[in-house]
Amino acid sequence: MMEIELNQKQTISTPRSAPAMSDNNKTNDNLDSFFKPAVKEDESLHGLSRPSLSYWQDAWIRLKKDKKAITSLVLVSFILAFSLLGPFVWTVDPNEQNLNMISQGPSFGSDALIANREMLGELVVDESIPEEPLEEVSPLEATESIEVLGKASTVGVHLKWQPVPGAYNYTIYRNEIQPNNISELGVPLFTTEYANELSYIDSLQLEAIPYWYSIVATDGIDEAMTYKTIEVTPELAYSLDQARAINPDYNIGDSISIGAHPFGTDQLGRDVMARLMTGGRISFFIGFFAPLLYILFGTLYGGIAGFIGGRVDGWMMRFSDFVVALPFLLFMILSYIAFGAGPGESGIVPMMATMVALLWPATARLVRGQVLQLREEGFTQAAQLLGASSWYILLRHMIPNTIGVILVTLTFAIPSAIFTEAFLSFIGMGVAPPNASWGVMSNEGIATMLNTPHELIFPAIFISLTVLSFNLLGDGLRDALDARMRSRE
Amino acid sequence: MAKDIVLDVKDLKVEFDTYGGIVKAVRGVDFQVERGKTLGIVGESGCGKSVTMQSIMGLIPMPPGRITSGSAKLDGLELLNVSPEKARSIRGKEIGMIFQDPMSSMNPTMKIGKQIAETLIVHRGYTEEKALNEAKRLLDRTKIPEAHKRASQFPFEFSGGMLQRAIIAMALACKPKLLIADEPTTALDVTIQEQILDLLKELQTEDNMSIIMITHDLGVVARMADQVSVMYAGQVIESGSVDEIFYKSSHPYTIGLRQAMPVNDEHNSTKLIPIEGSPPDLFSPPKACAYYARCPYAMEVCNKQDPAYTMIGETHRAKCWMQDSRAPKNDDLHQAHL
Amino acid sequence: MAMIEIKNLKKYFEIGKDAKVHAVDNISLDIQEKEIIGLVGESGSGKSTFGRTLCGLWDKTEGEVFYRGEKLPSNYGPKDYKKFSKKIQMIFQDPYSSLNPRMTVKEIIGEGLKLHGKITDKELTEKVAFWLRRVGLEPDHMSRYPHEFSGGQRQRIGIARALIVEPDFVVCDEPISALDVSVQAQVVNLLEEIKNSLGLTLLFIAHDLSMVRYVSDRMAVMYLGSMVELGPTNDVYFRPKHPYTQLLIQSNPEPDPQGERSRASVGIKGEIPSPINIGEGCRFAGRCPHATERCQKETPKWKEVAEKHFAACHLYD
Repeated sequence: MMEIELNQKQTISTPRSAPAMSDNNKTNDNLDSFFKPAVKEDESLHGLSRPSLSYWQDAWIRLKKDKKAITSLVLVSFILAFSLLGPFVWTVDPNEQNLNMISQGPSFGSDALIANREMLGELVVDESIPEEPLEEVSPLEATESIEVLGKASTVGVHLKWQPVPGAYNYTIYRNEIQPNNISELGVPLFTTEYANELSYIDSLQLEAIPYWYSIVATDGIDEAMTYKTIEVTPELAYSLDQARAINPDYNIGDSISIGAHPFGTDQLGRDVMARLMTGGRISFFIGFFAPLLYILFGTLYGGIAGFIGGRVDGWMMRFSDFVVALPFLLFMILSYIAFGAGPGESGIVPMMATMVALLWPATARLVRGQVLQLREEGFTQAAQLLGASSWYILLRHMIPNTIGVILVTLTFAIPSAIFTEAFLSFIGMGVAPPNASWGVMSNEGIATMLNTPHELIFPAIFISLTVLSFNLLGDGLRDALDARMRSRE
Repeated sequence: MAKDIVLDVKDLKVEFDTYGGIVKAVRGVDFQVERGKTLGIVGESGCGKSVTMQSIMGLIPMPPGRITSGSAKLDGLELLNVSPEKARSIRGKEIGMIFQDPMSSMNPTMKIGKQIAETLIVHRGYTEEKALNEAKRLLDRTKIPEAHKRASQFPFEFSGGMLQRAIIAMALACKPKLLIADEPTTALDVTIQEQILDLLKELQTEDNMSIIMITHDLGVVARMADQVSVMYAGQVIESGSVDEIFYKSSHPYTIGLRQAMPVNDEHNSTKLIPIEGSPPDLFSPPKACAYYARCPYAMEVCNKQDPAYTMIGETHRAKCWMQDSRAPKNDDLHQAHL
Repeated sequence: MAMIEIKNLKKYFEIGKDAKVHAVDNISLDIQEKEIIGLVGESGSGKSTFGRTLCGLWDKTEGEVFYRGEKLPSNYGPKDYKKFSKKIQMIFQDPYSSLNPRMTVKEIIGEGLKLHGKITDKELTEKVAFWLRRVGLEPDHMSRYPHEFSGGQRQRIGIARALIVEPDFVVCDEPISALDVSVQAQVVNLLEEIKNSLGLTLLFIAHDLSMVRYVSDRMAVMYLGSMVELGPTNDVYFRPKHPYTQLLIQSNPEPDPQGERSRASVGIKGEIPSPINIGEGCRFAGRCPHATERCQKETPKWKEVAEKHFAACHLYD
């Protein structure tokens, strides 16, 4: 009754499908022979075109596409390798103090001279000049020239200058920048007693950096307004005693090679890089093991609560609420005392104990929620109906489906624990000196922050980079492992 | 006779960037909605029917989404690729929308009456008092009992059916020309569905409003629609009046859908004929006819070239090579029209 | 003798002090060997809870269930599951959540066999391959993961998992409601075909009236925890006795535009009331067009209103 006459009908295309139509016209004639039933291959019906991927393979592919996460992963691996493998390559003792090398900025190795004062020669006193000038000269001129006697090294710099007629004595100034006028001469090091003393040996905390020495003549009361400046860069030098402590065969005049300090040294002359490595080991140790322990406990606790359910679940969760309410810092102090750790003693054990004791409830809640949800999922009920035991369901169905969530929690817990460790060490409650941890190093670096900022900056950078990359990695993992996104796509 | 077209969508194409690659969710869709009439859009999940509506409503997240071509004109005003502010003002006033899950389109912390009033204040510049009174009137109009009392309740105090009525009230607040209903009754029970469909019909006649009804339920389409577009793999494969689609089905997919549904006739014990296989993967949609792999009438040409639309009636068209004059006459296809 | 005898089955959920959800209230039903019994009802009517309680996934609050004369325990322990799971199995609604995303298809389907005793890997592979073919999938899909399959294919996997232990009674809990129309027919036909060839008995729970009518031999209707009507499918669908069934079937939109246009609105009033602490009286009284004072006070009795056709309504006293 409502049939259509297929043969009488014309093929008209609506104007809207113009592209398709023009396509048709072009090839119309060629298509005629194809109006016969198609023979289809069976696969076209049931074919699964995409390759088979397990959950983890799929997650890895997703993670690889997340640039932030992969950069973070590389960075985390790098920092980990730096701390764990670094000490095998960089064999400098992190606790060795070198008082010659206090608070040095980054350096990449150099040779040092073994020197003593003798190498600088005797102080020059020109007997031909009277101890006090015979006539007054005003104003006083600057000295004509300054020369360096002997070898200028960090053991000492010997300066000799030309006498100035009418000068009663001379003042020697030192600065680390070039003075542009008389007010910028720097630190007054010494004033000679007599007019005939024409040299001075400076051995005041010298470093192998350029110094500008200035000589100003004095009329006995006031300094002249004129000065002469010389730039001297002392060579790095060890005293014989220091050198012989390393190797007794050294003699004066030998040169000794000094190790590089890529991140400089701290205020006790310890190598910052070596300390960052061992400090990193402690930070990572706490950063991994504390979360691992409390997440494991939280997982078990939450898993059991969720699996048993009912009243037991209620009580267990009330207890976890109670634990959440406990103040962390207070408990940290209490356990510090309880473990008998006095001031200045290491607080690693109390720190770990407090973290494990107080930080598990978040994981427990999360896992309990997951387990409660999984208990209602079709596949656990199906397994139950097939006669699976509770253990089987827990091991085969529940844990594999919560592991992603747990992994993400762990990734977020690690930076948080590292940061807690750094914070506690920073306020003096965690790792105690001389042991290094990034927090301890930051704490020590604070004191010399203005003069030698590298002692604070490097550990701070390591803390920040580690915390940031773990967080970004955690974000990436969470996205990659999100099962809901997978199944609905 | 010139038709009074409210919404005219042409050659709409939408893509999404995903982890797995680009998904071509909508691949050149066009349809028109007449004033005061209902267009039913039918299709399986993933056929692009919801994405089509979301792009008209500007609800496609960009990125990852992308409208690569097409236009949608509401009474001559372009909705796609115009400034977001402009599009928003047109949509807010002229298009209402109701979703499958009523709970998700309500703010759970805000009283129902206030939420509806908010729309009126934003889009029509009502004073708060006037808006609240209008909100109560709208709730009353959607036959919510004790509307005055209900207006000061929160969404969680409403049942699913009541909440859907409240959503309809909210969608009607600005007297829209067009109401888009995306599976509005899928989450509801048959008896409640009946109530909601009746309500929509009644409101439509009163306001001379157009409705786009997106659903996978052919029963709902039969009850509600004047025109029907059947979508498959991101394309409209057949469209026409509701009678043409149901009684003169011309695309094998439409026929397949009909045959896969039981007929409630005591003396007819025809077996269901399922459509074998599953819809194609839109990561790499077939170049030729998307239905080729599942089509019982497939010809070689179907795997060679994408068919064009063939006009079968004044408004009835199908995108199938079987409608080509060169195609062999097929009695099965004729039988299926009955 | 009926295969499954259900006597006054009750399942209440306590949701607080003195508050109980009457999810399943006093249902008695005999399920005959090799029949498909369809169970319809709106969401919240307790049809899923009924199916789950029957399988033992929920403890029974009251009442008894007999399987071939043997009484099923009211609280299942793991041993009971092991004993009865070979007889009674279930197919779940959501094909997404009912398959463990971390397991391969082989592990999922083979789980039941592994749990029921020692089986070599070779035997397991053979059996799984057999069942994959049986439900219309390819044996080389065995090593794939559920997320790679479409909804319909997942449901086939779910069917294979339930049937591999060779049960003779299967509860199908809305097995098609999450599937697309074109795929629903695939699954329904598969279930029917397997049921016929293996001689299974099915309880087919769904809210799609047309599908239930199509697939089942007898049809039962639930409303708010209690069963209101039961009878041969065509009698219930075309000659419904209970006012609720009548309204439900009239509300079901048919894919027939002309019929729908000429059909008047059913005009059923109100919403499903809360199932908490239900007292005496007919549960449908509040929405029923024929309700009398008696319906409010007195719970109607379950009685035969036509041949093999039962209803609980005072209209038929």
